[in-house]
Amino acid sequence: MPKQKYIKPIIIRHASAGMANKFGRPLTAIPTQRIEGIQIQELAANYGSPLFVLSVRELRQRYRELHRAFANRYPNFQIAYSYKTNYLKSVCSILHQEGAWAEVVSGFEYDIARDLGMPGNQIIFNGPYKKRDELKRAFIDGAIVNIDNYDELNVIESLADELGKTLEIGVRLNMNLNNPPWYKFGFNVESGQAYDVVRRAQSSGKVKVVGLHIHAGTYIDDLTIYQKAAAGILQFYQSIRNQLGVTLKYWDLGGGFASRNTLHWAYLPGEQTCPSYSQYADAISSTLMSIGLPPNEMPRLFIEPGRALVDEPFSLITKVVAEKRLPSGQRAVILDAGMNILSSVQWYKYGIQTVQDSGTMVEDTVLYGGLCMNIDVLNANVSLPQVRFGEYLLIPHVGAYNLSQSWQFIFLKPAVIAIEDGEVKVIKRAETREIVQAAEELPDDFRF
Amino acid sequence: MYEFKNELTMSKSGFLFDHSSGQTYTLNPTGKLIFEKMQEGLDDEAILSTLIEEFEVEAHIARRDLEDFIRQLKEMGVI
Ligand SMILES: Cc1ncc(COP(=O)(O)O)c(C=O)c1O
Repeated sequence: MPKQKYIKPIIIRHASAGMANKFGRPLTAIPTQRIEGIQIQELAANYGSPLFVLSVRELRQRYRELHRAFANRYPNFQIAYSYKTNYLKSVCSILHQEGAWAEVVSGFEYDIARDLGMPGNQIIFNGPYKKRDELKRAFIDGAIVNIDNYDELNVIESLADELGKTLEIGVRLNMNLNNPPWYKFGFNVESGQAYDVVRRAQSSGKVKVVGLHIHAGTYIDDLTIYQKAAAGILQFYQSIRNQLGVTLKYWDLGGGFASRNTLHWAYLPGEQTCPSYSQYADAISSTLMSIGLPPNEMPRLFIEPGRALVDEPFSLITKVVAEKRLPSGQRAVILDAGMNILSSVQWYKYGIQTVQDSGTMVEDTVLYGGLCMNIDVLNANVSLPQVRFGEYLLIPHVGAYNLSQSWQFIFLKPAVIAIEDGEVKVIKRAETREIVQAAEELPDDFRF
Repeated sequence: MYEFKNELTMSKSGFLFDHSSGQTYTLNPTGKLIFEKMQEGLDDEAILSTLIEEFEVEAHIARRDLEDFIRQLKEMGVI
């Protein structure tokens, strides 16, 4: 008689006496064996673990859906991808293949876009700290520059003198839209500061205001915030148009659209609360369209999505490196991936999927990252079947911010691969010690 | 030989009921088998050989899991 498949013995005490038992197959116990048709175990064997995996199909699809949602509702629409969310060259380049422009917030990001071949006039340059020489280059290239503060306006006016021409700028606005409001950036509308800066800019003759920009926050799943932002920008435009004679070439509603991840403090899972692209597009464009201009006179509408495009197409493969039981009786599992490569774990309660069949009976488990640091917790409480040493888990929807914010700390950063049409391509090799130490010097005096 | 603290009844599906406290538990098939062998009065070594006979498992893994399981039973106050 063949032997039975072995599963680690477990006993679970029900939370309250007589509570219904936990049979039925919870989601984490349904193994996800493949990504884009390729065995996860095979990917980890070939490229190592942990491993970031991009589904190129999904990235393209998300771009196309987002573009369609807005373009169907607004005549003159353009996506500028927020580089900071994930500036791997391949990610930016695939999005540019699909038609995205670039939204950058530093000279470093600007250089990445230019190096990929993006023309300056398809780059939006934002952010509170742009250096003089970076601004100069941006204006020479014809980039779109949204200003953040008066000091920057002074620099730009002096550049106008230096370059001998009137420079076109956009003005970043902030308004009381959410709690807490994002007052760090741009000029406040309610206090009259924004009106003043437009008046001052127009009167100097050195610059010309041609755009308005607002980015109200990130992971905004409340559609009314976009309605209020659009209404606010529309009303502000009407006042500077009527009183200061400003004609806008564009208005830029920023990014902030949510992905289907779940925030720690959320009551319902992100899958249920995240608005669709069409709902976001409706909230913004129905308000802006009410300005009632003929379509050819409508300012171009930009949005600057990051998270909503790149979060979901990426997953992280990670391996169980140890199991233990805590004094509380709770099971703990230690993974080879930590918060050094998953910084968004501060905000997200990431979903976890099993890769092998580890049985149907789940147990509340704390998932620790592999860093020798007490705060490295990837999920404080997830119902997991009896995964074992050496088995893989999959963490979906990890593409936003984690790669650009990952720290080189204790461990080397893992490789990133992209899969399209069944073909695997390495888009970032795993870090080596040589790469980490390349900029270091050890002066002879310090040798032993 | 293990001593059980209270009178316990196990269902075919692995549902365990403690008559005096009203507390209920669920055991998976491996856990249920071990539990039954303990009730039959088998010691650790005998339980271990049953596991190795019936399941596709290496001895060192089965031993570690058995120890872990028994510790859990103690922590939960079952034995
Ligand atoms: C100016 C600006 N635009 C766009 C984004 C992208 O935001 P998200 O990833 O939430 O879409 C950010 C992010 O903070 C930003 O600061």
